[in-house]
Amino acid sequence: MSDDTNDPQPDGGTASKPTSEEPPEFEEHPLEWDEPENNNKAPDERKSVSQPAEKFDDRKLVTGQAKYTADYEERFPDLAHAAVVRSEVPHGRVTAVDTTEAEALDGVYAVLTPWSDAVPDAKYTSAGQSYPEPSPWDMNVLNKHVRYIGDPIAAVAAEDASTAAAAADAIEVEYEEYDHVVDPEEAFDGDAPQLFADDEVENKIVGHDYSRNRMSNIEGEIGDVEAALEREDVHVHETEWETIRQSHAQIEKHTSLAYTDEDDRKVLITSTQVPNHTRRQLAHLFDIPIRDIRVKKPRVGGGFGGKQAMVVEPIPLALSLAADRPVMYEASRDEEFYAMRSRHPMKVRARTAVTDDGTIEAIDLYALSNTGAYGSHGMTVAGNVGSKPMPLYSKVPNARFEADIIHTNTPQTGAMRGYGAPQGTLALEGHLDEVARDLDFDPIEFRRQHYMEVGDLDEIAGMMGGEGAERRIRSCGLDECIERGKEAIGWDDLEQPPEPHRHRGIGMALSAQGTGVAGDELGAAQIMMNEDGSFHLQVGGVDIGTGADTAFIQIAAEVLGCDEDDIIVKSSDTDNTPFDYGAYASSTTYISGMAVKKAAEDAKERILEWASRMLDEPAENLETRDGEVYSEESGEAVTLEDVGYESVYGHDDREHILGKGTHSTEESPPPFAAQFVDVTVDEQTGEFEVNQLVVAVDCGVAINPGMAEGQVEGANHMSFEMAVSEGITVDEQGRAEVSDFDEYGLPSATETPPIESLLVETHEPTGPFGAKSVAEVPTNTVPPALSNAIREAVGVRINEMPVTAEKIKAALDQK
Amino acid sequence: MEIELTINDESTTVAVESDDDLATVLRRNGYTGVKCGCDSGVCGASKVFVDGEVKMACGVDAQNVDDSEIETIEALGTQDDLHPIQEAFVDHFAVQCGFCIPGMIIEAKSLLANNPDPTEAEVRQAIDDNLCRCTGYQKSVDAILDAADRMHGDRSVAADGGSRIDSCRPGDAARDGDSDE
Repeated sequence: MSDDTNDPQPDGGTASKPTSEEPPEFEEHPLEWDEPENNNKAPDERKSVSQPAEKFDDRKLVTGQAKYTADYEERFPDLAHAAVVRSEVPHGRVTAVDTTEAEALDGVYAVLTPWSDAVPDAKYTSAGQSYPEPSPWDMNVLNKHVRYIGDPIAAVAAEDASTAAAAADAIEVEYEEYDHVVDPEEAFDGDAPQLFADDEVENKIVGHDYSRNRMSNIEGEIGDVEAALEREDVHVHETEWETIRQSHAQIEKHTSLAYTDEDDRKVLITSTQVPNHTRRQLAHLFDIPIRDIRVKKPRVGGGFGGKQAMVVEPIPLALSLAADRPVMYEASRDEEFYAMRSRHPMKVRARTAVTDDGTIEAIDLYALSNTGAYGSHGMTVAGNVGSKPMPLYSKVPNARFEADIIHTNTPQTGAMRGYGAPQGTLALEGHLDEVARDLDFDPIEFRRQHYMEVGDLDEIAGMMGGEGAERRIRSCGLDECIERGKEAIGWDDLEQPPEPHRHRGIGMALSAQGTGVAGDELGAAQIMMNEDGSFHLQVGGVDIGTGADTAFIQIAAEVLGCDEDDIIVKSSDTDNTPFDYGAYASSTTYISGMAVKKAAEDAKERILEWASRMLDEPAENLETRDGEVYSEESGEAVTLEDVGYESVYGHDDREHILGKGTHSTEESPPPFAAQFVDVTVDEQTGEFEVNQLVVAVDCGVAINPGMAEGQVEGANHMSFEMAVSEGITVDEQGRAEVSDFDEYGLPSATETPPIESLLVETHEPTGPFGAKSVAEVPTNTVPPALSNAIREAVGVRINEMPVTAEKIKAALDQK
Repeated sequence: MEIELTINDESTTVAVESDDDLATVLRRNGYTGVKCGCDSGVCGASKVFVDGEVKMACGVDAQNVDDSEIETIEALGTQDDLHPIQEAFVDHFAVQCGFCIPGMIIEAKSLLANNPDPTEAEVRQAIDDNLCRCTGYQKSVDAILDAADRMHGDRSVAADGGSRIDSCRPGDAARDGDSDE
């Protein structure tokens, strides 16, 4: 730990150094947080929170009993299967679609083209975000103007998957072909083919310039970066970084099943992260009232942002309307790579102005993002390239970020775990490491001079406006993350390999994320008590495999003083659970979890009221624990079961005990991570071996430490992949060159180094029981830490992902 | 055509189309613990035992397994009586979305039958084609190593019940689905 903490925060981590001047008052971001008394429990007072409660669906998952979307097939005997015809040209206009042969096939129930009645004409965005949508409406369910190899043109429903595929194959499409462009720099500069005419887009986004294929331009600044860069007493450094087009590669493919139920309601059972947004988007597209659509999320086989988009749902819905029967569409693995979504490939330039004594006077990041054929999350992801990593260095007085988001005739990009932060973190953490080495500073101490501490007002997060708005740091465990990470990786006693041509080095990188989208999220929950003292928790929050449902149970059990088994959770069914923005932006535990906490408190208030009558004691003397309501004063107690029966069957009065909670907030506290990568490099060949990954994360209070570690390790694995795999490469036509897992470099168990996850506990007063987010921040850190480790081991810098032996060898040869 | 299979110790006759793979046939007959993640027999989610040998069911032509004995995840533990490997996965928080887990557990069972005391490297090698996007493999490897202790040491852990849903195994009277044998 650094020794500059003269005002240690008991649970919040490192405190800021006092300054000679009185800090200015920021009424809207007070350091003191009016936290409910029960929110800050010492570790030994927590009964459910921080305990290793069994993941509630684990027994179903390990026995194969859990139901994912495709497993609902057996419940629909007349289910039809869908297949989609996709563009085989990178850019063009569909002039004719011949469906005669497809329609004539036995077992084909419906064939749809852009001209079919059941296919909506409306423009929309697939991005599953808040409303009004911060993304352009630039696509149709089936497209006449096609902009990449993979754009959907026609769809078929048939009695089984192979008939559907055969029918899709039998459809003939004629195109008028246009010139295309796949390189974002070329698309942006010069006389590139234009993907969108101005009138082909509704809901246009700030900074759009379709004549240059620019979907959006964003910028933000605090201080005066140019003036700082021009100062005579500073060293100006500039570096450039490049990242891959990474696939979500969730093992369950995008799958969606649509039907009309017995009440004439349009029902989607679908593998989604955003049921409520999907419902709203479908209503918009199909001109159906929101109330008449039901979106139901079963178990989801991974999302990672790829299912924060309405990627497949409209197609089975349109087909089910046309065929008048349930239709399921399960994307193929091939389609996953070329027609679903991926991480935005980016080039990011970093510039800093640093004085002789190592003071960073200015940081400037510029990102050129390739959003592919459609806009989707392009603008908001690019914003996070700056607004997530740059606030780490909140003490730097001048900071600027700009991004251009460019269309190319390549597959669509979208939200992906980390959401722009991985690209920005590579650039910033790689750059600062290089600057420190160049100026002969210790890379960690160099960072430490400038990074966030408790009490800091983070203005950099707010410089882009809106998302990630200005905030006060109330919890920060960076120092402890670094110290524990260093110890775990063996920072101080690294042994070199015996061979003189092999060198070992450790690289490190820091990361910050947010917890939810500041001012733009909502979670809601309700809880009803059963007469046996158990509870039904209905929550809009979306568990896509993270264990969120279990965290909700633990939060409710902590409040209600009951066993986790006494809470039945029902989540993510728009007919039966309250509103929620969905599983994204690391918000689930923080936003939806807080709604659960409020709902449980609301129910508890009624429980205490009933127990007060039953025990003839004032409610303020009562508390719940171990399934009982007891009185500190008298020692008397009634069970929750007694309260349950009495409340609904009482002689004099009756009440169904119901609690409700909704939560939205302007806060988005950052979790922090310190990454360490231990690498051995052969300087003769450039071959390298990652020996170990250590990542220490400050996620506030971990609601379930085992689940939180799992999130950290999975995120770190994804980050490792971003550093060493090529991702989805595309050819000169923009065609994805990857069609299966053999071609896509998802690291396997033998290709993945051991990952050690360390949870550093702080207390975030704005979060439920002190929690902030955990699942994204470790997605950001391996690319820069690996680049830094190779620099440490053999003195060369790899700026372009993936890191390969060839690149290292080439750099060594040039040294 | 029809083929004869013994699935989880029950003999049955199943209808098979010419282009059906074994995963499709098993799923169609209610064994939805067999998962399909890749269409090409590489991700490992569809692993089952075919005559005692682990195969990715989506890469097996159904017509070629006539008269075979098949064992799926449904043959291991039940929710209130987990197999020790399943227990270990639960206890180690080795399960996130769970989609790849049945296949991984099948492979782990095969490994531990042949090598009761594997090293970490041997465990990683055994599940090398069980792709998982959620976990980073660390907890799965830990779980399999612990399962080896539970199965061959004296550390067997009693299952403590817990919530369960109706079985989806064919022939289970509690089931309300339509796929019969």
